[in-house]
Amino acid sequence: MTLSSPAKLDTSVLLPLEPEEEEERPLSERIPGLRRYLAGLYGARASLRALPGEGGTQVARRTSFDGRVLFLPEAYRGFRDETADRLYLAAVAHAGAHLAFGRARFEPKSLKPLQIALISLLEDARVEWLAMEALPGLRRLWRPFHDALALDKDGATATAEVLMARLALALFDPARPLDNPWLAKGRDMFFAAMPEWDDPGALRLLGSLLGNDLGQMRVQFNSKTYVVQPVYRDDNAGLWEFDRPPPPEEDDTSLAEAVRIETREKPPEPGERERREAGGESDPRPASLSPLDPDQWIAVARMPEWDHGAGRLRPDWATIVEATPRTAPAALVERWLEARPDVARRTAGLIRQAKVGRPARLRRQGEGDRLDLDAAVRAAIDLRAGFDPDTRVFERSALSERDLAMLVLLDISESTKDTIGGTATSVFSVLREAVAHLSAALAETGDRFALHAFCSNGRDEVRYRRVKEFAEPFGNAARSRLAGLRPGLSTRMGAALRVATREAARQLSHRRLVLVVTDGEPSDIDVTDPAYLVEDARKAVQEAAGAGVDVFCVGLDKTGETYLSRIFGRGNFVQIGKVEMLPDRLPQIYVRLTR
Amino acid sequence: MPLSAYQIAEEPYFEPQGGEVALFSAAHALRQPVMIKGPTGCGKTRFIEHMAWRLGRPLITVACHEDMTASDLVGRYLLDAGGTAWHDGPLTLAVRHGAICYLDEIVEARQDTTVVVHPLTDDRRILPLEKKNELVRAHPDFQLVISYNPGYQSVLKDLKESTKQRFVALDFAYPDAEREAQIVAREAGVAKDVAVLLVRIAERTRNLKGHGLDEGASTRMLIQAGRLIKQGVGLAEACHVALVLPITDDMGVRETLSDVIAACA
Ligand SMILES: Nc1ncnc2c1ncn2[C@@H]1O[C@H](COP(=O)(O)OP(=O)(O)OP(=O)(O)O)[C@@H](O)[C@H]1O
Ligand SMILES: [Mg+2]
Repeated sequence: MTLSSPAKLDTSVLLPLEPEEEEERPLSERIPGLRRYLAGLYGARASLRALPGEGGTQVARRTSFDGRVLFLPEAYRGFRDETADRLYLAAVAHAGAHLAFGRARFEPKSLKPLQIALISLLEDARVEWLAMEALPGLRRLWRPFHDALALDKDGATATAEVLMARLALALFDPARPLDNPWLAKGRDMFFAAMPEWDDPGALRLLGSLLGNDLGQMRVQFNSKTYVVQPVYRDDNAGLWEFDRPPPPEEDDTSLAEAVRIETREKPPEPGERERREAGGESDPRPASLSPLDPDQWIAVARMPEWDHGAGRLRPDWATIVEATPRTAPAALVERWLEARPDVARRTAGLIRQAKVGRPARLRRQGEGDRLDLDAAVRAAIDLRAGFDPDTRVFERSALSERDLAMLVLLDISESTKDTIGGTATSVFSVLREAVAHLSAALAETGDRFALHAFCSNGRDEVRYRRVKEFAEPFGNAARSRLAGLRPGLSTRMGAALRVATREAARQLSHRRLVLVVTDGEPSDIDVTDPAYLVEDARKAVQEAAGAGVDVFCVGLDKTGETYLSRIFGRGNFVQIGKVEMLPDRLPQIYVRLTR
Repeated sequence: MPLSAYQIAEEPYFEPQGGEVALFSAAHALRQPVMIKGPTGCGKTRFIEHMAWRLGRPLITVACHEDMTASDLVGRYLLDAGGTAWHDGPLTLAVRHGAICYLDEIVEARQDTTVVVHPLTDDRRILPLEKKNELVRAHPDFQLVISYNPGYQSVLKDLKESTKQRFVALDFAYPDAEREAQIVAREAGVAKDVAVLLVRIAERTRNLKGHGLDEGASTRMLIQAGRLIKQGVGLAEACHVALVLPITDDMGVRETLSDVIAACA
């Protein structure tokens, strides 16, 4: 065998030759599909991200994984269109094979870099074989990417890299004739070891052996310039127990985001808010132009409160205060919507149905296209018995008209900061996501809706936040107020409910609805009797009914049965045990409530 | 015999998944109300047909829907030449004459409709026909069975607790790969290797539950695809029209499904 002198390592063959191309499909657009592909193939879940530090690097990019996080290059140089699509699928299918069939990381111990590369190559071949056993079609996906280097038989370029690319092909496609004894040895030993594939020691031994052979043949290997072939494979970093930087945290985005916004918002530069909001459509409310500080609360109304002990209404007892809404970039709302494409899709479907309206069966009609049998029979019996029959014996179907106005009232008290069992996600963050999904869907129906939130700090400070008003669209202004919402303080529900009722009652719609979303029992710092605020809220609900406003509640407290049914009445609330389900449930509830 | 039309003559083919035949037989011996849970197209209806045949009982099936009223179940007065005449609804028919009454997808019915089964499903075993002023005592052979798909309910579309707690439940899932292939081969009339492949594809689509699909491909869908293949349609095309297109309208998810299916064969 003729071998090239190591100094003449020709890097041009290691890199695809085409120049940097213009705009391909951005990775972020591919990720949802690739995540699904991974889930479909292996039932595996992983977080897919862009490789950090993109751009301007000499080394060709490979995927990389670390536990359940899979990093993908923004683009593969030299691959575009259809081929690029297939390459990403191939890369995810390969990394997924590691996730599905991999095992504990190898220890590098005293292995040389070449041996490490070879052992990785064998492991790649092993997991691919196992994957192809279950999913034979993967062979067609992977095969075309093997050719570039592996078919280069020119002795002048028989570097370690080329030999390894050819070994990769020999292991992938063992039926191909080989003219190189080292390759044949590697292939034959690999398949002879098949019964021991489960034992990581077997591959380790074989890889070390093959590495020694190359060493004896004086084939040099430069671990600095070495790039795994074929291009769809990963950089092997996930296979080895190197001294690694701590793995990036999973699902840290919402927390990190919250912190970032908080700090950016801290000194509310005069004028900055205006500039931020000016980006969107104009806000019909003058609030955004008012010089009020978001934390400067101003008394706007007094509400009565029910003293169940004394059995009387205390007039002007609770003070409602309002302030200029805090804002944060409206794009955050967009991000929450995109983060759950499933929910968005299901919600859109639901709303599409709701929009069509659903035929209602109207019974006991004076006229109609069908006989209402029960009514007709009743009439016949009355006739015979000598009574005056009710002549409305017809039945017809009509599309129900939608004419309603809904006010969503959010409890954003301190307790919504609680995290959901075992995760870093807070109730509040799920709540605002859910509201974002619902709002986006409602904007579609054309139903009138408003979005308000409340918390309290004793009876003199019932804070009422207007995120979106009935008259305005769910545009950038409303979105940035939703993004700017922050939880804190207590839950004086009755007072807030009275304000909401007043607002809803002002709407001219046929049906007026207040939908309260709360995570706990009413409470406040100046109230010790646990029944007091419950009874007051109950009273507020009754008042709403008197004003022609329906009140419905979504409770996020598994143990809330007692007080929720006390306040809202049986059948006028639902409990959602798993808070994570709220984004999905909330639109469903809305659709059911309003048809 | 008033229910002879509801008697099942031929054995409906059913491939048992576990102990469900024995369990159902035991529940039937006690006339316990049974609820069968499971995703769509996993064999719930087929199982009940098979059991009715095996136990030699007539089977009356009602597909429940939202506009269904209690009268639709128990019966009503109808006008005829001589005046009005009472007509038993399907439930009453089964109660009077001793059939298995199968209420399919019961959650679709409104809760005020479903409560009519309450007096039938406790020790009383009676069905009051309010309008007719009659109290029907259930025939000793009468048994109530409902089906219920836990995946599709929303919070507001659920059985009342007081309804749920009257039933013993059998939980169905898609059969294991071996059995499912057996079923597909037999029902679609395709070769075993084709059936195995279809089942492999189904397993992968079921992985996508929660990733864009509410439910993966059902056994029923595989049988449909298999039947097309039997007719000479190619595998890829059969999967496309019988699995991919019906299951989702989302273009991205369809693309993933096609890619995943391509990886299977
Ligand atoms: N265990 C089984 N044995 C035989 N055939 C089966 C079995 N499971 C499913 N099938 C086949 O699948 C088809 C669908 O099953 P079936 O109609 O019983 O589903 P289902 O669970 O009642 O669905 P749905 O909830 O949508 O009504 C049947 O027609 C039958 O061909
Ligand atoms: Mg069925």
